[in-house]
Amino acid sequence: MINKKTSNKDDSKLKIGVFICRCGGNISDTVDIEKVKSNIDAEVVEEFENLCSINGKKNIRDNILNNKLDRVVIASCSPISHEKIFQDYVKPLNPYLMDMANLREQCSWVHDKDKSTAKAITLINASIEKVKKSHPVNPIVCQIPESVAIIGGGISGISAALSIAKTDVKTYIIEEKATIGGNMVKIGKVFSPVKIAEECSLCLLNPLINETVWEDNIEILTKTKVISGSRKSGTFSLLLEKSPRYIDDALCIACGKCNEVCPVKVLDDFNENMSYRKAIYKPFSQSYPDAYTIDMENCKKCGNCVKICKMNAINLEEEKELIPLNVGSVILATGHKLFNPKARPEYGYERYDEVITQNELARIMGVNGPTKGELKIPGSKKAPKRIVMVQCVGSRDEKPNAHKYCSKVCCMVALKNANIIKHKYPDTDVIICYTDMRTTGMYEKYYKHCQDNGIRLIRGRPGEIIKNQEDNLVVKVEDTLTREFVEIETDMVVLSLAIESSDGTREIAKQLDIGLTEDFFVKEAHPKIKPVATDVKGAFVCGTAQGPKDITESIMQANASAAKVFELIHKGIEIEPFIAEIDYELCNNCKECISRCKHKSIYIEDKEIFIDPMSCSGCGECLSVCKQSAITIQGNINEKIYATIKGMLKNKQKGEKKIIVFLDQIGYTAADNIGINRLQYPESIHIIKVHSVNRVTPDHIIYALKNGAEGVFIGEYPGDLMYDKVEKKINKLKKYAEKQGINPDRIQFSKVYIPYFTGLAQKFKIFDEKINSISN
Amino acid sequence: MKVINLDETREKLSNKVLNNIKASHDLGLLRCVQCGMCTSVCPGAKHSNYNPRYMVEKVLENDEKIIENKDIWNCFYCYTCHSVCAVGNSPCEVNQILRQIAIDNGKEDEKLKYFASYGETFLDIGIGGMPKSFFMTLHEDIEGWLDFKAELEEIRKELSLGPIQMPQESIEEVRKLLNKMNFDKRVKRLKKEEKE
Repeated sequence: MINKKTSNKDDSKLKIGVFICRCGGNISDTVDIEKVKSNIDAEVVEEFENLCSINGKKNIRDNILNNKLDRVVIASCSPISHEKIFQDYVKPLNPYLMDMANLREQCSWVHDKDKSTAKAITLINASIEKVKKSHPVNPIVCQIPESVAIIGGGISGISAALSIAKTDVKTYIIEEKATIGGNMVKIGKVFSPVKIAEECSLCLLNPLINETVWEDNIEILTKTKVISGSRKSGTFSLLLEKSPRYIDDALCIACGKCNEVCPVKVLDDFNENMSYRKAIYKPFSQSYPDAYTIDMENCKKCGNCVKICKMNAINLEEEKELIPLNVGSVILATGHKLFNPKARPEYGYERYDEVITQNELARIMGVNGPTKGELKIPGSKKAPKRIVMVQCVGSRDEKPNAHKYCSKVCCMVALKNANIIKHKYPDTDVIICYTDMRTTGMYEKYYKHCQDNGIRLIRGRPGEIIKNQEDNLVVKVEDTLTREFVEIETDMVVLSLAIESSDGTREIAKQLDIGLTEDFFVKEAHPKIKPVATDVKGAFVCGTAQGPKDITESIMQANASAAKVFELIHKGIEIEPFIAEIDYELCNNCKECISRCKHKSIYIEDKEIFIDPMSCSGCGECLSVCKQSAITIQGNINEKIYATIKGMLKNKQKGEKKIIVFLDQIGYTAADNIGINRLQYPESIHIIKVHSVNRVTPDHIIYALKNGAEGVFIGEYPGDLMYDKVEKKINKLKKYAEKQGINPDRIQFSKVYIPYFTGLAQKFKIFDEKINSISN
Repeated sequence: MKVINLDETREKLSNKVLNNIKASHDLGLLRCVQCGMCTSVCPGAKHSNYNPRYMVEKVLENDEKIIENKDIWNCFYCYTCHSVCAVGNSPCEVNQILRQIAIDNGKEDEKLKYFASYGETFLDIGIGGMPKSFFMTLHEDIEGWLDFKAELEEIRKELSLGPIQMPQESIEEVRKLLNKMNFDKRVKRLKKEEKE
């Protein structure tokens, strides 16, 4: 009720209360509070020892109620530290009808006694003018659907799904293949850094698969792909394509009779194409769904399977199905693929049967593999006398078709497979040719364990693998530790291939407009402090879709992304209300704003343009391209900036110099740091905090310069998405200012960083001196 | 024991190599991790004591003795090390620069004389090429080599490539330039030394 009444009042009749905090001497030792009080024109001007205390709260509240105040100015510390507290203290007034004048960090802590009182009066006046133009606004609460789509059903996707589903949130696992399980089902054995032993990977994974299957909140969609998708105010609309299985998995009892009668034999990709399967098949015995499927590319449609199936589960004419799905969040768990060994012809993969990959070796060593776990040289029945492993194939390589990064897990994979071989075949000599052994943390213990078991290590990167006259493989390498050129005769070579981004990762990123790194892995919102978040709000990433990593790390990321999903779902998200809104009576659907938005916040639905409040930053870029002026930003920001400038320049004395400084959150924090560290800058500097530097228009700057400001300084953090735009805008403005008869040197654009406060103080000082030297 | 002094600067042999006009602008010399891939494919390393990885190591260690090391003259510019290097280094290029430094120091005529015939081709045809004196040996080693050489211009025409021979006036011009630099005299001197 109060809000409505006040917002309609004439500015000049608004009752404003100014509350000045002495801050236990922090402010009052430097600023003459009595003098400030006598120079402020407001309904109420009060001072307190500690305004942020509970007593302060009572005083503010009583004054608001007793004097029927419409607006409040808190003249105390920085809003960075106490804004939320004072927004609460001014209840029942709308929190956005209060403004803070920063008398501590940006006045008493940076200026001498004789300068700070006048500065304090100016800062309070600016806040008074600003609150006169403030509108009551309410935080926007976005509720997002309580459902999640997880793209990819490997160990990462399964882990994320289990974590989310257990909190009663509907979870969909969308898997392209006929079964969930991913790469982990193929690798045979795993080991953990603290255990000096290898364990069966399927025995660890299978219980998780079962749990996923039995969990009521999880729906598993196999043979399913996302074919298009978009995000609208917290809802992802996905269109899925489910390829036909040709066998009803609800009817199929996996008896295997169809498999027996199928006449078609094809290479089995579960065994890395080292064995055969039928055209009607189950990927592996524990696969889920526990049902057969038909590989229609190879099926001859003889009908044998249909005839023998007692359950009538087979329908060779089944067609693909399109499924629309709306969810609140998406987790990308699209995994990885391996470097193509054919891109390194010098290693002879394909030319020589005896040159294989670590994945192929894992299948050979697997008891459910092509040789039932017996180690044999491919193409022969003999066990190898020697195996040479070649590390860094496609990793740590600057050549155009390879990857500069380290694939992180290959050292451990090679050691593990070498150790398994050594354990089972102690007479087989295993040599690992490495560039550097990278066995960080506890993995180092496993490395030493492998050396104890007699695995040989040669520090050198082989350049070529050939065959000699005896038809043996020869690995050419320099033992760089002994400076010896070595030709190793061997009967088997295993290549440790680089981990690279999967096709699925690239496809889903394109469909949902999610950013990728230069290596085509999913890019995190910030690689250091915002792991698992992507540049699209509500979309998260885990596992090798984000970069090379092992199983444990993948599960940790999966759990982290699940936690991020809960954050969104729990009570929705409260958003600062200063974001863009569209007036549909004015909007003519020209779509200009869509491509201009760096935050990917604007989208089209049913031919109408929408702005997603979750990702809009309120930078105002869309406003400037809207020819219809159909976009507005709540909170009267434009007018508030004019009013603050006006307040800053009010009562300017003869010979006094005023420089207006616009800073965003980061720049303002840096400026506070100058005060916290008790450094000084000229008292001519008057800082205005803005939501986004992009909201400061050329008109604001020209207004300031024409109404008494000698200079304008704009500081922005270079990491801001709008930085380049603003820089260009300021350069253009300088030319315009020159035409208006204003010296362009009075305008300065500068980078700001939080830790670089000394530099910022210095920049203020230099700019102040530069303004002195300009005689216009 | 080797001591790395506190005031030792990076103004080193590696910088000298990187700043040499022959060095590619993005030569990965400082990124070398000594993996030895270059040595593993080097024909020179297989048949002699030359070791491209060791040579790079010495350059990075600022060991100027490598310039006078006779082994570096066993590289025959096949560029295999260059093509396999994972960090964008080119031991072959480094080698050429070291040799040039050795030549500039005026100490390597002994090694240089074997290249005199190649030098002659600049005077004969205006560009570097296979010296005529090698033709018969090549023909003995590679079947049909002379026929290929004879038909080269025809083959190039079929592939719509221009003639390999430079115009006579350009050859004259190159020769004139080289003579001004006393290149011809130097080649003659080396040629004589080679015969002796």
